[in-house]
Amino acid sequence: MSGEAKLIIQDLCHHYPDEYTGESVHALEGINLQVYENEFVAIVGPSGCGKTTLLNIVAGLLPYREGRAMVDGNEIHGPGPDRGVVFQEHAILPWRSVARNIGHGLELQRVPKEETRRRVQEYIDLVGLSGFEDRYPHELSGGMKQRVAVARTLCADPVIMLMDEPFAAVDAQTRITLQDELNRIVMATRKTILFITHSVEEAAFLGDRCIVFSRRPGQIKTEIKIDIPREERVWKDMADNPKFTEARDKILRLVRQEVTSDDEH
Amino acid sequence: MTSIDLQQARLFKWKKFATEGAGRLIIFLVGSIILWALISEFLIARPDRYLPSPLAVLLSSADMLNKGSLLSFYSDTLTRLVIGGAVGIVIGIPIGLLLGLNRFVADMFYPLMNFFQSVSGIAIFPVVVIWFGNSDTTVLIVILYTSFFPIAFNVLSGVRSVPVRYIQAARTLGASRLQVVRDVLLPGAMPSIAVGTRLSIGFAWRAVIAGEMLAGRPGLGNMIFSGQEFDNTAQIILGMVMIGITWIVLDHFLLRPLESDTIERWGLVSR
Repeated sequence: MSGEAKLIIQDLCHHYPDEYTGESVHALEGINLQVYENEFVAIVGPSGCGKTTLLNIVAGLLPYREGRAMVDGNEIHGPGPDRGVVFQEHAILPWRSVARNIGHGLELQRVPKEETRRRVQEYIDLVGLSGFEDRYPHELSGGMKQRVAVARTLCADPVIMLMDEPFAAVDAQTRITLQDELNRIVMATRKTILFITHSVEEAAFLGDRCIVFSRRPGQIKTEIKIDIPREERVWKDMADNPKFTEARDKILRLVRQEVTSDDEH
Repeated sequence: MTSIDLQQARLFKWKKFATEGAGRLIIFLVGSIILWALISEFLIARPDRYLPSPLAVLLSSADMLNKGSLLSFYSDTLTRLVIGGAVGIVIGIPIGLLLGLNRFVADMFYPLMNFFQSVSGIAIFPVVVIWFGNSDTTVLIVILYTSFFPIAFNVLSGVRSVPVRYIQAARTLGASRLQVVRDVLLPGAMPSIAVGTRLSIGFAWRAVIAGEMLAGRPGLGNMIFSGQEFDNTAQIILGMVMIGITWIVLDHFLLRPLESDTIERWGLVSR
């Protein structure tokens, strides 16, 4: 992959005390990962493998002690607008209209009103929410809320967009639509993205590179390059795309190994 | 939306509030007044002492209006209520916020607040009289004291009930701690702030009436109290009716529109 590394993670390990028993849980072990400019990296792994822990560390929501994590050459200490996060659900603010949610990041950075208005409109159009500017989140469907969340993150123009199973809570039909749309948005914005999912299909469909995690303690098991041009990534064509089916089956086998070996314990 | 559109929308909302359910309210009011008149006329042996008719209450109010005492009592009481209640709420919100934000501060002051919350305004009344005499200051202090706790406790629990996800989302958009308070915690605590404000004003009402009775300051409370002394039951009922109507007007034209513009619009509560 050409371009410079936007996210660099070196020898990252993480332990945390279990909420109830107090025992130390070994969540991540020896993670080395780089995400390059304009790259879409999908992390897939069995549930509880530490992939969300990794995302929270990169987001700055979780402090870490062992190893290093850097964005754009800066060591990560706490959250910041250079790393936007799209959470699974329930993260846009109910007391802000669609437009005010999307413009929140710019408002916090004290960007002039006129420029904010213009950029907000641009992203509203991009995610297909024109006409809903003045609606409040409780008036929107689950899929529309996630569109707002994506637009809000993009509008703040982060160095890297972190997505934590953003489509896991919507119904299957909406999910397919949102995945197609995200592809279109990625093409339009060329954003650098780190995407967490437990869905093998989603990872194979969206990722330029797919990182398979082992079960806990989470380690990088393999990485798979998915060499399908973005323009060809449309769900209706995917069933006939040998590159996609091959990658999906390979990832599925690797993830299944982790789940099955877990069952034997 | 242009500002003219916005003004029209506000005007429309105002009209809707002014007329919403007005028909049912009028039927209910007229019905209860007729029932009251019938009971007073046919069931009570000495209505002037035990339950004066609506007409007698009306005449008593006309009489007091003529003398000028009714409006002066009313404005005295309302002024105390507004000043004492407003100061109590204005102090209560930031203190509740501070306690909700900081565990350390909360652990220090929560037990103290809990202690005084159980000691009602009436219970501290005698000691305030010893300090400040039977004065307006005394009544105001008791109102302030009484209205402080409901709002402070509600803001505290409101701030704590804001989902962590919202705070994290704002932080990853680059919000400072102060911006998190302004953009996330305060609006997120609005349902509790609304409940607390209602309770505080309700408590302040009770405190102002009781305070006037005990301190003998002129006002609606004192008017009710002296009504008993002089066997003027119509005057007592007049006082009660004025308190009730004031609350309904306050609620309908101030608190409800405020709630419908915020927490109901945001879908945080439904009616």
